[in-house]
Amino acid sequence: MAVTQTMDEILEDDVLLTCRLNGANCEELVTPGLSLLDFLRDQQHLTGTHMGCMTGHCGACTVLIDGEVAKSCLVMAASAAGKNIQTIEGLSPPDGNLSTIQQAFRDANSFQCGYCAPGMVLTAVSLLSTNPQPSDQEIREALSGNLCRCTGYRSIIAGIRLAAERQLKLTNKPTGPNGV
Amino acid sequence: MSRAQFARMRSLEAATEMLSYLGPGAVVLAGGQELMPSINYRVLAASVFVDINGLPELKGIRLEDANLSIGALCVHREIERNELVRQHAPLLAHALSEVGGGWQVRNRGTIGGNIVCMHPLYDALPALIALEASLLIRQQGESNRVPINYMVTDTGHGLGSTSILVRILVPILSNSVSWGYHKLKTTHGAYSSATAASLVTIDSTMRVRRVRLVLGAVESVPRDISNELQSLIGKRYGDEMLRDVESLSASAVVDPISDQRGEAGYRRAMAGVSARRAFADAVTRACPKFN
Repeated sequence: MAVTQTMDEILEDDVLLTCRLNGANCEELVTPGLSLLDFLRDQQHLTGTHMGCMTGHCGACTVLIDGEVAKSCLVMAASAAGKNIQTIEGLSPPDGNLSTIQQAFRDANSFQCGYCAPGMVLTAVSLLSTNPQPSDQEIREALSGNLCRCTGYRSIIAGIRLAAERQLKLTNKPTGPNGV
Repeated sequence: MSRAQFARMRSLEAATEMLSYLGPGAVVLAGGQELMPSINYRVLAASVFVDINGLPELKGIRLEDANLSIGALCVHREIERNELVRQHAPLLAHALSEVGGGWQVRNRGTIGGNIVCMHPLYDALPALIALEASLLIRQQGESNRVPINYMVTDTGHGLGSTSILVRILVPILSNSVSWGYHKLKTTHGAYSSATAASLVTIDSTMRVRRVRLVLGAVESVPRDISNELQSLIGKRYGDEMLRDVESLSASAVVDPISDQRGEAGYRRAMAGVSARRAFADAVTRACPKFN
């Protein structure tokens, strides 16, 4: 055991945040109290994560932390050390195409103003990763932390249903002879 | 406003020492779901954020003797999906599944945070009081086990500025006890207008042997009205009993809240309605053929 630190030695003015961000290593100094949302938008310029209410009601700032959805306005950046963070920018493959879920949202017109869309898409990612064939009721429950001020919920649910169908087709692709 | 500092704690011992050292300007950071809005809106100015997320003593769910021992850092979704909790304290698993704000909040919000902020509208307290849970609380140099109803106050001071809630001990329910929970709310994610958590033991002749019922979201702290319902013991379950549960519960409310979820008279009436529904749910769960 190392020599016990004094209390003053533990106190930090700025905190070194070391994490994974959209698949890359990230090391940045952050101010204590800064939200993960402000860190992503202001320090990392990842403005796809939207700022809505800053109270945790609206879900526009939803990100994935270790694969689970979180509201980034309710996460202190300094406490995200060691986490794997994914924002909407990290969802599409580098070739510029949209991910299956994003494409489904586009094809089902799951947007009106689009402000809630990044959060809705990331919640859909989380839902379909654990429940590839959700019922409408399960989709509604999963979306209960995301508000759409245009009230376009029906088209969002249709987009998630379409994404689920397409993902299922991708995973159930017919195999060749002899199961290869 | 001066800038806050940050302390990432790695042991419970050091964390309690740090809180004693810093005094009231220190703010404990766990899941952040309660804390961050007040920081975002500059309502709260902390001198130091004491991050306790790295403390192993506050993690995990296990059986210890006749108790389920739940770490204060366990998040709502972890608890609601945990097999041990679903088996031995299903009332708690269900109550936490009703925490609003969606998966996002239930992925980050901790049971410890839900308890220590002692918010009248939150879900953990009524269920834990009904279950007669105890809290393991650590202060510098001392460790205490306290029945949860002794700790609940409406002063906004929680456990005090130098204490850390370590674990929640929930007595394992016997198979003969059935549970019901009713949260009256306007939308899926909304705060409650009235909540009731109930435990009922009913025998094969449909006579009530034991009842516990706690009301939440109606007064500034949850109200345990089990004593007011003792007149039900030995009586047969039926419509008349449900009417009794509703009227006894509504009249047991002393000082109802008035807010945007309803004025005092409405809250009192809905306390009765929620109590009746939670009680009926518990009986139905015990004897699915009735109702």
